[in-house]
Amino acid sequence: MTLSTMLSTMAAGMLRTCGIFALTLIGSLPLGMVVALLRKSRSPIVRGIIRVYISVIRGTPLMLQLLVWYFGPFYLFEWSIRGWRFPALILGFIVNYAAYFAEIYRGGIESMPVGQYEAAEVLGYTKTQTFMRIILPQVIKRIMPSITNEVITLVKDTSLAFTLAYQEVFSLAKQISASQTSFMPFVIAGVFYFIANYAVQFAMERIEKALNYYR
Amino acid sequence: MKKLLALLLTGSMVLSLAACGQAAPAQQASEPAPAAEEAAPAEEAAPAEEAAPAEASDSAYGEGYVFKHGFDLDYPPYSYIDENGQTGGFDVEMAQAVCEYYGWQYEAVPFNWDAKDAELNAGSCDCIWSGFTVNGREDDYLWSKAYSDNTQMIMVAKDSGISSLSDLGGKIVGVQTSTSAYDLLNDEEGQAELSSTFQSLEVYETYTIAFNDLKAGAIDAIAIDVTSGNYLMSGEDGYVFLDEALGSEQYAIGFRKGDTELCDLVNAALDALVADGTYDAIGQKYPEIYDFLCLN
Repeated sequence: MTLSTMLSTMAAGMLRTCGIFALTLIGSLPLGMVVALLRKSRSPIVRGIIRVYISVIRGTPLMLQLLVWYFGPFYLFEWSIRGWRFPALILGFIVNYAAYFAEIYRGGIESMPVGQYEAAEVLGYTKTQTFMRIILPQVIKRIMPSITNEVITLVKDTSLAFTLAYQEVFSLAKQISASQTSFMPFVIAGVFYFIANYAVQFAMERIEKALNYYR
Repeated sequence: MKKLLALLLTGSMVLSLAACGQAAPAQQASEPAPAAEEAAPAEEAAPAEEAAPAEASDSAYGEGYVFKHGFDLDYPPYSYIDENGQTGGFDVEMAQAVCEYYGWQYEAVPFNWDAKDAELNAGSCDCIWSGFTVNGREDDYLWSKAYSDNTQMIMVAKDSGISSLSDLGGKIVGVQTSTSAYDLLNDEEGQAELSSTFQSLEVYETYTIAFNDLKAGAIDAIAIDVTSGNYLMSGEDGYVFLDEALGSEQYAIGFRKGDTELCDLVNAALDALVADGTYDAIGQKYPEIYDFLCLN
Protein backbone atom coordinates (compact mmCIF):
# COMPACT_ATOMS: atom_id res chain seq x y z
CA MET A 1 0.00 0.00 0.00
CA THR A 2 1.43 3.36 -0.96
CA LEU A 3 1.67 6.09 1.62
CA SER A 4 -0.84 8.21 -0.27
CA THR A 5 -3.42 5.38 -0.29
CA MET A 6 -2.83 4.91 3.41
CA LEU A 7 -3.24 8.61 4.07
CA SER A 8 -6.39 8.94 2.02
CA THR A 9 -7.97 5.81 3.55
CA MET A 10 -7.19 7.10 7.01
CA ALA A 11 -8.31 10.62 6.20
CA ALA A 12 -11.72 9.16 5.35
CA GLY A 13 -11.63 7.54 8.79
CA MET A 14 -10.67 10.85 10.36
CA LEU A 15 -13.74 12.44 8.79
CA ARG A 16 -15.88 9.79 10.48
CA THR A 17 -14.07 10.51 13.74
CA CYS A 18 -14.88 14.20 13.33
CA GLY A 19 -18.50 13.24 12.66
CA ILE A 20 -18.76 11.39 15.97
CA PHE A 21 -17.04 14.30 17.68
CA ALA A 22 -19.32 16.98 16.27
CA LEU A 23 -22.57 15.07 16.80
CA THR A 24 -21.61 14.19 20.35
CA LEU A 25 -20.90 17.81 21.22
CA ILE A 26 -24.07 19.06 19.56
CA GLY A 27 -26.08 16.58 21.57
CA SER A 28 -24.31 16.48 24.90
CA LEU A 29 -23.57 20.16 25.57
CA PRO A 30 -27.28 21.11 25.75
CA LEU A 31 -28.34 17.79 27.27
CA GLY A 32 -25.75 18.27 30.00
CA MET A 33 -27.35 21.59 30.90
CA VAL A 34 -30.77 19.96 31.11
CA VAL A 35 -29.36 17.25 33.35
CA ALA A 36 -27.61 19.82 35.56
CA LEU A 37 -30.86 21.71 36.03
CA LEU A 38 -32.86 18.55 36.69
CA ARG A 39 -30.30 17.57 39.26
CA LYS A 40 -31.31 20.72 41.16
CA SER A 41 -35.01 20.02 40.66
CA ARG A 42 -37.41 20.37 43.58
CA SER A 43 -38.78 16.87 43.07
CA PRO A 44 -36.76 14.30 45.00
CA ILE A 45 -37.74 11.61 42.45
CA VAL A 46 -36.25 13.56 39.56
CA ARG A 47 -33.14 14.35 41.60
CA GLY A 48 -32.82 10.68 42.50
CA ILE A 49 -33.12 9.50 38.90
CA ILE A 50 -30.52 12.01 37.76
CA ARG A 51 -28.12 10.98 40.50
CA VAL A 52 -28.43 7.33 39.55
CA TYR A 53 -27.96 8.21 35.88
CA ILE A 54 -24.81 10.21 36.59
CA SER A 55 -23.29 7.61 38.86
CA VAL A 56 -24.02 4.71 36.49
CA ILE A 57 -22.61 6.58 33.51
CA ARG A 58 -19.51 7.71 35.35
CA GLY A 59 -19.08 4.40 37.08
CA THR A 60 -19.00 2.14 34.02
CA PRO A 61 -16.64 2.13 31.05
CA LEU A 62 -17.85 3.93 27.93
CA MET A 63 -16.88 0.86 25.93
CA LEU A 64 -19.40 -1.22 27.88
CA GLN A 65 -22.07 1.44 27.51
CA LEU A 66 -21.60 1.43 23.74
CA LEU A 67 -22.11 -2.33 23.63
CA VAL A 68 -25.29 -2.00 25.69
CA TRP A 69 -26.65 0.76 23.44
CA TYR A 70 -26.01 -1.29 20.33
CA PHE A 71 -26.94 -4.81 21.42
CA GLY A 72 -29.41 -3.87 24.17
CA PRO A 73 -32.45 -3.37 21.90
CA PHE A 74 -32.01 -6.88 20.54
CA TYR A 75 -31.25 -8.71 23.77
CA LEU A 76 -33.88 -6.85 25.80
CA PHE A 77 -36.70 -6.43 23.27
CA GLU A 78 -35.70 -8.63 20.32
CA TRP A 79 -35.80 -5.62 18.01
CA SER A 80 -33.85 -5.78 14.80
CA ILE A 81 -30.68 -3.73 15.13
CA ARG A 82 -30.14 -3.35 11.42
CA GLY A 83 -28.84 0.13 10.73
CA TRP A 84 -28.70 0.83 14.45
CA ARG A 85 -24.89 0.85 14.68
CA PHE A 86 -24.24 4.52 14.10
CA PRO A 87 -27.26 5.88 16.02
CA ALA A 88 -26.35 3.64 18.97
CA LEU A 89 -22.79 4.90 18.86
CA ILE A 90 -23.82 8.55 18.86
CA LEU A 91 -26.45 8.03 21.57
CA GLY A 92 -23.90 6.24 23.73
CA PHE A 93 -21.44 9.09 23.38
CA ILE A 94 -24.03 11.82 23.94
CA VAL A 95 -25.53 10.24 27.04
CA ASN A 96 -22.08 9.60 28.45
CA TYR A 97 -20.67 13.04 27.82
CA ALA A 98 -23.85 14.78 28.98
CA ALA A 99 -23.29 13.28 32.43
CA TYR A 100 -19.79 14.73 32.65
CA PHE A 101 -20.84 18.09 31.24
CA ALA A 102 -23.74 18.20 33.69
CA GLU A 103 -21.36 17.93 36.61
CA ILE A 104 -19.16 20.67 35.17
CA TYR A 105 -22.21 22.92 34.74
CA ARG A 106 -23.38 22.12 38.26
CA GLY A 107 -20.00 23.05 39.65
CA GLY A 108 -20.17 26.33 37.78
CA ILE A 109 -23.73 27.11 38.85
CA GLU A 110 -23.07 26.31 42.50
CA SER A 111 -19.98 28.48 42.53
CA MET A 112 -22.14 31.59 42.05
CA PRO A 113 -22.52 33.62 45.25
CA VAL A 114 -26.03 33.67 46.78
CA GLY A 115 -25.83 37.45 46.87
CA GLN A 116 -26.32 37.57 43.11
CA TYR A 117 -29.63 35.72 43.37
CA GLU A 118 -30.75 38.02 46.18
CA ALA A 119 -29.77 41.13 44.25
CA ALA A 120 -31.62 39.87 41.17
CA GLU A 121 -34.72 39.17 43.24
CA VAL A 122 -34.65 42.67 44.70
CA LEU A 123 -34.38 44.07 41.18
CA GLY A 124 -37.51 42.14 40.22
CA TYR A 125 -35.95 39.45 38.01
CA THR A 126 -37.88 36.22 37.72
CA LYS A 127 -36.00 33.00 38.43
CA THR A 128 -35.68 32.19 34.74
CA GLN A 129 -34.43 35.69 33.97
CA THR A 130 -31.93 35.51 36.80
CA PHE A 131 -30.59 32.25 35.50
CA MET A 132 -30.51 33.08 31.80
CA ARG A 133 -29.23 36.67 32.05
CA ILE A 134 -27.09 36.75 35.16
CA ILE A 135 -25.97 33.32 36.27
CA LEU A 136 -25.50 31.41 32.99
CA PRO A 137 -23.23 33.93 31.24
CA GLN A 138 -20.88 33.92 34.21
CA VAL A 139 -21.03 30.14 34.56
CA ILE A 140 -20.01 29.65 30.94
CA LYS A 141 -16.97 31.88 31.39
CA ARG A 142 -15.97 30.10 34.54
CA ILE A 143 -16.26 26.54 33.24
CA MET A 144 -14.55 27.00 29.89
CA PRO A 145 -11.23 25.42 30.95
CA SER A 146 -13.00 22.31 32.27
CA ILE A 147 -15.09 22.10 29.10
CA THR A 148 -11.96 22.33 26.96
CA ASN A 149 -10.48 19.46 28.94
CA GLU A 150 -13.53 17.32 28.37
CA VAL A 151 -13.75 18.18 24.67
CA ILE A 152 -10.14 17.16 24.13
CA THR A 153 -10.80 13.90 25.94
CA LEU A 154 -13.75 13.38 23.62
CA VAL A 155 -11.54 13.65 20.53
CA LYS A 156 -9.47 10.77 21.85
CA ASP A 157 -12.44 8.79 23.20
CA THR A 158 -13.94 8.60 19.71
CA SER A 159 -11.48 5.75 19.18
CA LEU A 160 -13.75 3.63 21.39
CA ALA A 161 -16.08 3.46 18.39
CA PHE A 162 -13.99 0.48 17.32
CA THR A 163 -16.01 -1.52 19.89
CA LEU A 164 -18.94 -1.26 17.52
CA ALA A 165 -16.67 -1.75 14.51
CA TYR A 166 -17.30 1.75 13.23
CA GLN A 167 -14.55 2.50 10.75
CA GLU A 168 -13.13 5.58 12.40
CA VAL A 169 -9.49 6.49 12.19
CA PHE A 170 -8.22 4.27 15.00
CA SER A 171 -10.05 1.14 13.83
CA LEU A 172 -8.59 1.74 10.39
CA ALA A 173 -5.13 2.26 11.85
CA LYS A 174 -5.35 -1.13 13.55
CA GLN A 175 -6.64 -2.85 10.45
CA ILE A 176 -4.15 -1.29 8.06
CA SER A 177 -1.39 -2.02 10.52
CA ALA A 178 -2.41 -5.70 10.46
CA SER A 179 -2.61 -5.88 6.69
CA GLN A 180 0.62 -3.95 6.07
CA THR A 181 2.53 -5.35 9.09
CA SER A 182 3.62 -1.80 9.82
CA PHE A 183 3.35 0.75 12.60
CA MET A 184 3.03 3.65 10.20
CA PRO A 185 -0.80 3.76 10.46
CA PHE A 186 -0.55 4.34 14.22
CA VAL A 187 1.89 7.20 13.68
CA ILE A 188 -0.47 8.73 11.13
CA ALA A 189 -3.42 8.29 13.51
CA GLY A 190 -1.41 10.01 16.24
CA VAL A 191 -0.67 12.96 14.00
CA PHE A 192 -4.34 13.19 12.97
CA TYR A 193 -5.48 13.21 16.60
CA PHE A 194 -2.91 15.82 17.51
CA ILE A 195 -3.96 18.10 14.67
CA ALA A 196 -7.61 17.73 15.66
CA ASN A 197 -6.86 18.51 19.29
CA TYR A 198 -4.69 21.44 18.33
CA ALA A 199 -7.62 22.86 16.40
CA VAL A 200 -9.90 22.28 19.39
CA GLN A 201 -7.44 24.00 21.71
CA PHE A 202 -7.10 26.93 19.34
CA ALA A 203 -10.86 27.34 18.98
CA MET A 204 -11.46 27.09 22.72
CA GLU A 205 -8.78 29.67 23.47
CA ARG A 206 -10.43 32.04 21.03
CA ILE A 207 -13.80 31.50 22.67
CA GLU A 208 -12.32 32.07 26.11
CA LYS A 209 -10.73 35.31 24.93
CA ALA A 210 -13.99 36.47 23.40
CA LEU A 211 -15.80 35.78 26.67
CA ASN A 212 -13.22 37.62 28.67
CA TYR A 213 -14.88 40.98 28.18
CA TYR A 214 -14.41 42.38 31.68
CA ARG A 215 -10.66 42.25 31.72
CA MET B 1 -38.91 27.55 35.00
CA LYS B 2 -42.36 26.42 33.85
CA LYS B 3 -41.43 27.03 30.24
CA LEU B 4 -38.32 25.01 30.70
CA LEU B 5 -40.28 22.17 32.23
CA ALA B 6 -42.76 22.24 29.36
CA LEU B 7 -39.89 22.11 26.92
CA LEU B 8 -38.39 19.13 28.70
CA LEU B 9 -41.65 17.27 28.78
CA THR B 10 -42.15 17.86 25.08
CA GLY B 11 -38.63 16.67 24.47
CA SER B 12 -39.08 13.47 26.39
CA MET B 13 -42.39 12.78 24.65
CA VAL B 14 -40.78 13.23 21.25
CA LEU B 15 -38.05 10.85 22.32
CA SER B 16 -40.46 8.20 23.51
CA LEU B 17 -42.44 8.56 20.29
CA ALA B 18 -39.25 8.04 18.36
CA ALA B 19 -38.64 4.91 20.38
CA CYS B 20 -42.10 3.60 19.47
CA GLY B 21 -41.42 4.41 15.85
CA GLN B 22 -38.36 2.22 15.96
CA ALA B 23 -40.17 -0.65 17.56
CA ALA B 24 -42.62 -1.02 14.72
CA PRO B 25 -40.27 -1.64 11.79
CA ALA B 26 -38.08 -3.74 14.01
CA GLN B 27 -40.87 -6.19 14.73
CA GLN B 28 -41.66 -6.38 11.07
CA ALA B 29 -38.10 -7.15 10.22
CA SER B 30 -37.94 -10.05 12.63
CA GLU B 31 -40.88 -11.72 10.89
CA PRO B 32 -39.92 -13.86 7.93
CA ALA B 33 -42.18 -12.04 5.47
CA PRO B 34 -42.55 -8.24 5.71
CA ALA B 35 -46.16 -7.49 6.58
CA ALA B 36 -46.25 -4.33 4.48
CA GLU B 37 -45.57 -6.17 1.24
CA GLU B 38 -48.22 -8.75 1.92
CA ALA B 39 -50.79 -6.13 2.80
CA ALA B 40 -50.85 -4.58 -0.65
CA PRO B 41 -51.80 -7.63 -2.75
CA ALA B 42 -54.22 -8.75 -0.04
CA GLU B 43 -56.53 -5.94 -1.11
CA GLU B 44 -57.21 -7.68 -4.41
CA ALA B 45 -58.38 -11.01 -3.09
CA ALA B 46 -58.28 -12.85 0.21
CA PRO B 47 -57.01 -16.23 -1.20
CA ALA B 48 -53.77 -14.51 -2.21
CA GLU B 49 -52.70 -14.82 1.40
CA GLU B 50 -52.54 -18.58 1.13
CA ALA B 51 -50.00 -18.40 -1.67
CA ALA B 52 -47.85 -15.87 0.15
CA PRO B 53 -46.17 -18.10 2.77
CA ALA B 54 -45.10 -20.70 0.20
CA GLU B 55 -43.71 -18.00 -2.01
CA ALA B 56 -41.93 -16.41 0.92
CA SER B 57 -40.13 -19.61 1.92
CA ASP B 58 -38.99 -20.06 -1.67
CA SER B 59 -37.88 -16.51 -2.11
CA ALA B 60 -36.48 -15.79 1.35
CA TYR B 61 -33.04 -16.22 -0.19
CA GLY B 62 -34.06 -15.39 -3.73
CA GLU B 63 -32.44 -12.95 -6.06
CA GLY B 64 -31.78 -9.61 -4.41
CA TYR B 65 -31.43 -11.11 -0.93
CA VAL B 66 -28.98 -9.03 1.09
CA PHE B 67 -26.28 -11.39 2.32
CA LYS B 68 -24.66 -9.85 5.38
CA HIS B 69 -21.10 -11.10 5.60
CA GLY B 70 -19.72 -10.72 9.12
CA PHE B 71 -15.95 -10.58 9.42
CA ASP B 72 -12.98 -9.08 11.19
CA LEU B 73 -10.91 -6.59 9.20
CA ASP B 74 -7.87 -7.42 11.32
CA TYR B 75 -7.29 -10.84 9.82
CA PRO B 76 -5.13 -10.82 6.70
CA PRO B 77 -5.17 -12.45 4.25
CA TYR B 78 -8.70 -13.78 4.88
CA SER B 79 -10.35 -10.43 5.49
CA TYR B 80 -8.46 -7.18 5.62
CA ILE B 81 -7.93 -3.78 4.06
CA ASP B 82 -6.11 -4.36 0.79
CA GLU B 83 -3.45 -2.40 -1.08
CA ASN B 84 -6.04 0.05 -2.39
CA GLY B 85 -7.58 0.75 0.97
CA GLN B 86 -10.60 -1.42 0.08
CA THR B 87 -12.12 -4.32 1.98
CA GLY B 88 -10.61 -7.49 0.57
CA GLY B 89 -9.17 -10.90 1.33
CA PHE B 90 -9.87 -14.49 0.42
CA ASP B 91 -13.02 -14.81 2.52
CA VAL B 92 -14.42 -11.50 1.29
CA GLU B 93 -13.86 -12.44 -2.35
CA MET B 94 -15.37 -15.88 -1.82
CA ALA B 95 -18.43 -14.40 -0.11
CA GLN B 96 -18.83 -11.98 -2.98
CA ALA B 97 -18.56 -14.86 -5.46
CA VAL B 98 -21.29 -16.75 -3.58
CA CYS B 99 -23.49 -13.66 -3.75
CA GLU B 100 -22.84 -13.30 -7.45
CA TYR B 101 -23.73 -16.97 -7.93
CA TYR B 102 -27.20 -16.51 -6.42
CA GLY B 103 -27.77 -12.92 -7.51
CA TRP B 104 -27.67 -11.78 -3.89
CA GLN B 105 -26.60 -8.35 -2.79
CA TYR B 106 -23.38 -8.46 -0.82
CA GLU B 107 -23.22 -6.41 2.37
CA ALA B 108 -19.97 -6.20 4.30
CA VAL B 109 -20.45 -6.19 8.09
CA PRO B 110 -17.02 -5.70 9.61
CA PHE B 111 -17.23 -6.33 13.34
CA ASN B 112 -15.12 -6.33 16.43
CA TRP B 113 -13.95 -9.94 16.85
CA ASP B 114 -14.71 -9.98 20.58
CA ALA B 115 -18.34 -9.14 19.83
CA LYS B 116 -18.80 -11.65 16.99
CA ASP B 117 -21.37 -13.82 18.79
CA ALA B 118 -23.46 -10.85 19.82
CA GLU B 119 -23.39 -9.57 16.22
CA LEU B 120 -24.41 -12.96 14.83
CA ASN B 121 -27.16 -13.61 17.38
CA ALA B 122 -28.56 -10.11 17.04
CA GLY B 123 -28.81 -10.62 13.30
CA SER B 124 -26.58 -7.78 12.21
CA CYS B 125 -24.77 -10.40 10.12
CA ASP B 126 -25.82 -13.73 8.58
CA CYS B 127 -22.61 -15.60 9.26
CA ILE B 128 -19.11 -15.39 10.68
CA TRP B 129 -16.78 -15.91 7.73
CA SER B 130 -13.36 -14.66 8.62
CA GLY B 131 -10.78 -17.40 8.97
CA PHE B 132 -13.08 -18.87 11.60
CA THR B 133 -11.81 -22.00 13.35
CA VAL B 134 -14.20 -24.93 13.68
CA ASN B 135 -12.16 -26.96 16.15
CA GLY B 136 -13.36 -26.54 19.70
CA ARG B 137 -16.51 -24.75 18.51
CA GLU B 138 -18.16 -27.69 16.72
CA ASP B 139 -21.41 -27.43 18.69
CA ASP B 140 -21.65 -23.65 18.94
CA TYR B 141 -22.58 -22.84 15.35
CA LEU B 142 -24.09 -24.38 12.28
CA TRP B 143 -20.99 -24.99 10.17
CA SER B 144 -20.53 -24.95 6.44
CA LYS B 145 -18.04 -27.37 4.95
CA ALA B 146 -14.44 -26.54 5.82
CA TYR B 147 -12.68 -24.62 3.06
CA SER B 148 -9.22 -24.16 4.51
CA ASP B 149 -6.83 -26.10 6.73
CA ASN B 150 -4.48 -24.39 9.07
CA THR B 151 -1.75 -25.31 11.49
CA GLN B 152 -0.56 -23.54 14.61
CA MET B 153 3.20 -23.17 14.60
CA ILE B 154 5.95 -21.50 16.55
CA MET B 155 7.79 -18.73 14.75
CA VAL B 156 11.32 -17.84 15.82
CA ALA B 157 14.29 -15.88 14.53
CA LYS B 158 16.65 -18.09 12.50
CA ASP B 159 19.57 -17.31 14.79
CA SER B 160 17.64 -17.84 18.03
CA GLY B 161 19.03 -21.31 18.68
CA ILE B 162 15.51 -22.62 19.22
CA SER B 163 14.91 -25.64 17.01
CA SER B 164 12.23 -27.66 18.74
CA LEU B 165 9.30 -27.17 21.05
CA SER B 166 11.34 -28.46 23.99
CA ASP B 167 13.81 -25.58 23.51
CA LEU B 168 11.03 -23.18 24.42
CA GLY B 169 11.40 -23.88 28.16
CA GLY B 170 12.15 -20.64 30.00
CA LYS B 171 11.50 -18.53 26.91
CA ILE B 172 9.04 -15.71 26.38
CA VAL B 173 6.38 -16.55 23.81
CA GLY B 174 3.91 -14.12 22.25
CA VAL B 175 0.41 -14.83 20.97
CA GLN B 176 -2.57 -12.79 19.81
CA THR B 177 -5.64 -12.78 22.01
CA SER B 178 -8.74 -14.78 20.90
CA THR B 179 -6.84 -16.81 18.31
CA SER B 180 -6.75 -20.57 18.04
CA ALA B 181 -3.05 -20.54 18.95
CA TYR B 182 -3.97 -18.72 22.15
CA ASP B 183 -6.76 -21.19 22.94
CA LEU B 184 -4.47 -24.12 22.24
CA LEU B 185 -1.79 -22.87 24.64
CA ASN B 186 -4.38 -22.46 27.38
CA ASP B 187 -6.22 -25.71 26.77
CA GLU B 188 -5.46 -28.51 29.22
CA GLU B 189 -6.04 -31.04 26.47
CA GLY B 190 -4.03 -28.92 24.05
CA GLN B 191 -0.64 -27.42 24.72
CA ALA B 192 -1.15 -26.01 28.22
CA GLU B 193 1.60 -28.31 29.46
CA LEU B 194 4.01 -26.84 26.95
CA SER B 195 3.05 -23.27 27.77
CA SER B 196 3.63 -23.96 31.47
CA THR B 197 7.32 -24.41 30.62
CA PHE B 198 7.55 -20.90 29.12
CA GLN B 199 8.97 -18.12 31.21
CA SER B 200 5.83 -16.24 30.23
CA LEU B 201 3.14 -16.12 27.59
CA GLU B 202 2.62 -12.57 26.37
CA VAL B 203 -0.86 -11.89 25.01
CA TYR B 204 -1.06 -9.22 22.31
CA GLU B 205 -3.88 -7.29 20.74
CA THR B 206 -2.51 -7.96 17.26
CA TYR B 207 0.21 -10.12 15.76
CA THR B 208 1.74 -7.04 14.18
CA ILE B 209 2.77 -5.81 17.61
CA ALA B 210 3.91 -9.28 18.66
CA PHE B 211 6.04 -9.56 15.53
CA ASN B 212 7.56 -6.19 16.23
CA ASP B 213 8.47 -7.38 19.72
CA LEU B 214 10.04 -10.49 18.22
CA LYS B 215 12.10 -8.34 15.86
CA ALA B 216 13.12 -6.11 18.74
CA GLY B 217 14.14 -9.13 20.81
CA ALA B 218 11.59 -8.52 23.56
CA ILE B 219 10.18 -12.01 23.08
CA ASP B 220 11.74 -15.23 21.80
CA ALA B 221 8.95 -16.81 19.79
CA ILE B 222 5.42 -16.33 18.50
CA ALA B 223 2.68 -18.96 18.49
CA ILE B 224 0.66 -18.35 15.35
CA ASP B 225 -1.41 -19.89 12.55
CA VAL B 226 0.84 -20.82 9.69
CA THR B 227 -1.16 -18.70 7.22
CA SER B 228 -1.05 -15.55 9.36
CA GLY B 229 2.61 -16.29 10.03
CA ASN B 230 3.34 -16.59 6.32
CA TYR B 231 1.63 -13.28 5.80
CA LEU B 232 3.72 -11.60 8.53
CA MET B 233 6.96 -13.11 7.25
CA SER B 234 6.39 -12.23 3.61
CA GLY B 235 9.01 -9.65 2.79
CA GLU B 236 10.94 -10.37 5.97
CA ASP B 237 14.08 -12.44 6.15
CA GLY B 238 15.46 -14.27 9.13
CA TYR B 239 12.37 -15.90 10.62
CA VAL B 240 11.32 -19.54 10.44
CA PHE B 241 8.70 -21.90 11.77
CA LEU B 242 9.74 -24.80 13.97
CA ASP B 243 9.16 -28.17 12.29
CA GLU B 244 6.86 -29.46 15.01
CA ALA B 245 3.36 -28.04 14.86
CA LEU B 246 1.37 -27.12 17.97
CA GLY B 247 -1.88 -28.28 16.48
CA SER B 248 -4.07 -28.16 13.42
CA GLU B 249 -7.49 -26.80 12.65
CA GLN B 250 -9.98 -26.13 9.91
CA TYR B 251 -11.71 -22.95 8.80
CA ALA B 252 -15.37 -22.89 7.87
CA ILE B 253 -18.29 -20.50 7.85
CA GLY B 254 -20.30 -20.30 11.05
CA PHE B 255 -24.08 -19.73 10.80
CA ARG B 256 -26.72 -19.32 13.48
CA LYS B 257 -28.06 -22.67 14.52
CA GLY B 258 -31.32 -23.15 12.65
CA ASP B 259 -30.28 -21.25 9.53
CA THR B 260 -30.03 -24.59 7.74
CA GLU B 261 -31.41 -23.32 4.47
CA LEU B 262 -28.85 -20.54 4.17
CA CYS B 263 -26.03 -22.87 5.20
CA ASP B 264 -27.10 -25.45 2.57
CA LEU B 265 -27.27 -22.77 -0.10
CA VAL B 266 -23.78 -21.51 0.72
CA ASN B 267 -22.43 -25.06 0.74
CA ALA B 268 -23.98 -25.68 -2.68
CA ALA B 269 -22.47 -22.45 -3.96
CA LEU B 270 -19.05 -23.41 -2.62
CA ASP B 271 -19.29 -26.72 -4.54
CA ALA B 272 -20.20 -24.86 -7.69
CA LEU B 273 -17.39 -22.34 -7.26
CA VAL B 274 -14.88 -25.13 -6.71
CA ALA B 275 -16.19 -26.93 -9.82
CA ASP B 276 -15.95 -23.88 -12.07
CA GLY B 277 -12.47 -22.94 -10.85
CA THR B 278 -13.41 -19.69 -9.10
CA TYR B 279 -12.24 -21.02 -5.73
CA ASP B 280 -8.86 -21.90 -7.19
CA ALA B 281 -8.56 -18.60 -9.06
CA ILE B 282 -9.28 -16.54 -5.95
CA GLY B 283 -6.96 -18.74 -3.92
CA GLN B 284 -4.07 -18.09 -6.28
CA LYS B 285 -4.25 -14.39 -5.45
CA TYR B 286 -3.30 -15.30 -1.88
CA PRO B 287 -0.09 -17.37 -2.06
CA GLU B 288 0.28 -17.39 1.75
CA ILE B 289 -2.79 -19.58 2.12
CA TYR B 290 -3.12 -21.27 -1.25
CA ASP B 291 -1.50 -24.53 -0.13
CA PHE B 292 -3.95 -24.82 2.74
CA LEU B 293 -7.18 -24.50 0.77
CA CYS B 294 -8.76 -27.92 1.18
CA LEU B 295 -11.64 -28.00 -1.29
CA ASN B 296 -9.50 -28.36 -4.42
